[in-house]
Amino acid sequence: MSADKDVMIEAVDINKEYRRAGAIIRALADVNLKIRSGEFAVIQGPTGCGKSTLLNVLSGLDLPDSGRIIFDGENIARATEDRLSRLRRQKIGFVFQDFNLVNTLTAMENVESVLWPTVLRQKEIENRAITALRDVDLLDRKDHYPVQMSGGEKQRCGIARAIIHRPRVILADEATGNLDPESEKQVMDLLKKINKEMETTIIFVTHRDLSQYGTKTIRMDKGRIIKIQ
Amino acid sequence: MWRKAILLSLREKKIFTVFTLIYTILIFLTSLFWDLAIKEEIGAAANYLLVIFFGTSLFLSLLYAWILVSRKRRVWATFKCIGYTNKNILVLVSGMIFFTTIVGFIIVIEVLFHYTAALAYLHSEGFFSKINEILIGLVPVIITSALFIIVQIVAFFLAYRKVLKVRPIIALKKVGE
Repeated sequence: MSADKDVMIEAVDINKEYRRAGAIIRALADVNLKIRSGEFAVIQGPTGCGKSTLLNVLSGLDLPDSGRIIFDGENIARATEDRLSRLRRQKIGFVFQDFNLVNTLTAMENVESVLWPTVLRQKEIENRAITALRDVDLLDRKDHYPVQMSGGEKQRCGIARAIIHRPRVILADEATGNLDPESEKQVMDLLKKINKEMETTIIFVTHRDLSQYGTKTIRMDKGRIIKIQ
Repeated sequence: MWRKAILLSLREKKIFTVFTLIYTILIFLTSLFWDLAIKEEIGAAANYLLVIFFGTSLFLSLLYAWILVSRKRRVWATFKCIGYTNKNILVLVSGMIFFTTIVGFIIVIEVLFHYTAALAYLHSEGFFSKINEILIGLVPVIITSALFIIVQIVAFFLAYRKVLKVRPIIALKKVGE
């Protein structure tokens, strides 16, 4: 039981099916998974193997057809939308493949935007955004708009946005999918540093072999976990 | 959050400028015809025009709400991913719509000063014999602006329904998928 206290996210007997063009696609089949606090889990597999669906289900963005998702001790599989929003705001940071920065906001404002709906004062939000941008080595670009930044810089800005509220978990879906090899290395090194220094649990979904960065590699195929290393 | 709605509005330069200008013209014309209707200068035609202007304002509010939610679906989906509730996003969208009308109202007030001054000058130069008929009172402007804002409640409902339908999962899909 004491070991389970370390479990950050647990998926128990998760099943998820989609209906596409009349056919039923089993995206997740009896998935069982435990990710412990402070782990860097790389979920790897070919396109369409269900890894992104698993990430969506683990974060509460999508609901499983059956099974339970225990996130930091709380079953979120049937939580209300407002509860899930609060959970994401407090405990989860997202890093997206397409960066998803707001083009009309500067890097600083994009990072700050996570904390806009909170009760924090603007000065405190600004201080936290500066710290987050400094952590990703992007402070000199704080007044730049996304169109003025390179792909690697945009993703570092996305990472700063993901860490500003000091989440317990960072979820990254193909976060290096749109980057050149050099920027990919920078981003992966940065996530590794965050994982070590901030003890943030990281779940990184990718179709490439990036297992060298993870403390745990989960290989998926056809909706099933086929290997955990 | 209201301040952030203003920030987002101002950064959407093109759409903000276009809708603010349209609102300015609409508020000005509605106020003018309202004033004329009160003074019974042009009879029943003024009433018809008032209905047309309010109808146009309703249509514009709906269009603006639709554009703000639909065109920025990915932004709202991303905001939902990072922890925004539907209510948080509605505050941003409503704030953007509301702010545009308020700016339209402020511009009308500003324009009225110049309009009145110009008419007064032309009257003193002998271009007009009757100036009171074409001057617009402040009361019709304030009432018109207030009614325009009330009309926008319908747009808020539309925005709310559309915001509810934005699924956060969209943010995780590749652009164009």
